Amino acid sequence: MRYGKIFAGLFMAAALPGANSAVADSIDDKAQVCAGCHGEKGIPQEKTTPIIWGQNEGYILVELRDFKSGARKNDIMSGIVADLSKKDMLDLAAHFAGLKWPDLQQASPPRPVMKQALTVIGSIGCTSCHLDQYQGNSTTPRLAGQQSEYLQKTMTDFRDRSRANNPGMSDLMNAAQPADLGPIAQYLASLTVVGGNQ
Amino acid sequence: MVGIRSSHAFAAALTGLLVFSAFHSAKAQEVEHNSKEAAKGAPAPSVTQEELTNAAKDSKQFLHTNGNYDQTRFYPGKQVNTGNVSKLRPAWIFQMDVKESLETTPIVVGNVMYVTTSFDHVYALNAKTGEQYWHYKHKMGPITTYCCGPNNRGVAVYGDKVYLATLDAKLVALDAKTGSLVWQTDIADPLDGYSETMAPTAVNGKIIIGTNGGEYGIRGFVRAYDANTGKLVWNFDTIPENSVGVWATKDATGKDLHRDIDAEKAQFAKTGDPYKTLGGGVWQNPAVDLKLNRIFFVVGNPSPDLDGSLRPGDNLYTDSLVSVDLDTGKYVCHFQYIPHDVWDLDAVSPPILVDVKDKDGKTVPGVIHGGKTGNVYVNDRKDCSLIRFSDPMVDQSGMWTLPTPEGSKMFPGANGGVEWSPMAANPKLALAYAVNLHQPMTYQVQSSPYPDGKLWLGGAFKVIPTEVSFGNVTAVNYDTGKIKWQVKTPEPMMGGALATAGDLVFTGEANGWFRAYNAESGKILWSFQCGAGVNAPPAAYALDGKEYIVVGAGGNTQIDFKRGNNIIAFTLN
Repeated sequence: MRYGKIFAGLFMAAALPGANSAVADSIDDKAQVCAGCHGEKGIPQEKTTPIIWGQNEGYILVELRDFKSGARKNDIMSGIVADLSKKDMLDLAAHFAGLKWPDLQQASPPRPVMKQALTVIGSIGCTSCHLDQYQGNSTTPRLAGQQSEYLQKTMTDFRDRSRANNPGMSDLMNAAQPADLGPIAQYLASLTVVGGNQ
Repeated sequence: MVGIRSSHAFAAALTGLLVFSAFHSAKAQEVEHNSKEAAKGAPAPSVTQEELTNAAKDSKQFLHTNGNYDQTRFYPGKQVNTGNVSKLRPAWIFQMDVKESLETTPIVVGNVMYVTTSFDHVYALNAKTGEQYWHYKHKMGPITTYCCGPNNRGVAVYGDKVYLATLDAKLVALDAKTGSLVWQTDIADPLDGYSETMAPTAVNGKIIIGTNGGEYGIRGFVRAYDANTGKLVWNFDTIPENSVGVWATKDATGKDLHRDIDAEKAQFAKTGDPYKTLGGGVWQNPAVDLKLNRIFFVVGNPSPDLDGSLRPGDNLYTDSLVSVDLDTGKYVCHFQYIPHDVWDLDAVSPPILVDVKDKDGKTVPGVIHGGKTGNVYVNDRKDCSLIRFSDPMVDQSGMWTLPTPEGSKMFPGANGGVEWSPMAANPKLALAYAVNLHQPMTYQVQSSPYPDGKLWLGGAFKVIPTEVSFGNVTAVNYDTGKIKWQVKTPEPMMGGALATAGDLVFTGEANGWFRAYNAESGKILWSFQCGAGVNAPPAAYALDGKEYIVVGAGGNTQIDFKRGNNIIAFTLN
């Protein structure tokens, strides 16, 4: 099932006119490729795929750039971004940043789990960059309301450095314990997006 | 520069869950109190160089972020004094549209006040009534890169313009009367980790600005731009191409830094001078000595913060006091407080020019700086050499224990000591007033290569959740180095101080209290609860014969204190 959907997304990418050529597509066509995994209405097909509708513009741009350079590795994404120009990336970043973040209504964790999460968050200082309500800004991503499984996987990947495009985040995740990552993910996922295009 | 804490996070988050849905503006932090108000022109008088030069004697206006070119933050008015400060009451409160970390110093020209917010909004207000004249909202580019809050510390004023430096690393000139954009200049590329949070300094037709980015492997600088055109006049790289220095093994106070010089030399032979990504941001205003025609500024930490293995040498001029020529930006002298820093205990709080006693008791032009180490350093303005350092204002147990992969404990934590908070000085008493933090942290090192403008700490600073954090307000005699008085505060202190000729010292706390202290004794004489963290430096001015003390209460991102959006002006009533 999982792979079927991913392959469907790739198939769409290949089938779209000009997706792998120098012919410029409209931004909507390019964005349609993304919908294969990230969802037609912003709700990703898989729990470990991030929400990108309403994500911060600078962050989307930097991640696209890093997928293309290989600094961030993902077999599917590296294929998707291979032919994107810098302008395509800017346009896509602006496009998705302007869409409405989907409210998945992920449940708040029990109080002891929340307390564990907040102790670690306070100690490491996540709000220093991701800001007061975990909405991030520009090149720092919005965490509030992101998919819990994706958040946990991302923190784990930073921690073991398999996600290597932000060593500062890897260092900070190494200041946490593996058992802390689930509670942090659950807590952040349960928060609500503030402002933006809700 | 980095450092973190939050004992409030849990309570704040629980409350936050209830109130999140109340906001529906474009950005989480925007609250839109004033958006429906029509823009009115401000009766902004033109600011002359003479006024800027003589600001130290001007009790009507507050023309510089740190009060005057000497940066004493000493206000010459004494209408509000130790005898009547208990009658200080709010004259007005202005609520801004951004409820996020607030570090602005209000600037007052005539009866117009300029204040800024996080994300680079500027307001022109009626300083007597708090009414808004105009509101400028910077059109932010898609890329900003900063570590410690979307702060802005205020504007510079010169001629008929107001100058602002922005998170997306631009220098902006606005029409003081209307708030409309006159010119805008790119300072650096934010994708490489450059950003601006400091207030510019205006002097002799130039606008002087440094840069943030010590957590992102930048190469720091201080620059002067033409005030009329925005064209670059000069550039000083805070990191010279030969950044090695003398392989110093001790800090300015003589403590052993535990450097492995052989290992550093071997690394140097292998990878060469690390100057291109060595950090060295300057994100506080320089002091200006118009007689010497020089500026004095302090340079921040090396990149990566905690990992010294990739940056052999003393890492000049990080963690240093530096002086350059005002007209050309040419190097004159420097003094490095901490060679090869691996604790982020850099030089941040703006330097102050005062006359000091040298080692022989002779009065000489001095420059003093409150270090993140928790010492006040007293240097000779002539050649930047160290005259003395003060008694430690905070616990320095374990200094300089090297960071380890597991995390090692050392005091003070990475916020200092004294963070960016400007000190104030009372030259009559030879006292400098510093606000301190005691935040127990562990220092954890992890090595990773330069990540192309991404966060590059070389490890992590971690607040120890089981240990108590607190702060101090400390008066230090800079002629002796002795602590005259010290008052403990329940929260770590960040924001800065104002001293007055009324023998008062004003400073605010993270828990919302804004207080006046007796400058000589440290006795608390007046307090006001502002409802949000008072983490901004106070200012003072006078209109129609009445003195006002003004401060921002908006909390702080870096140490996660309660946010707000108020500018509060107080007067006797």
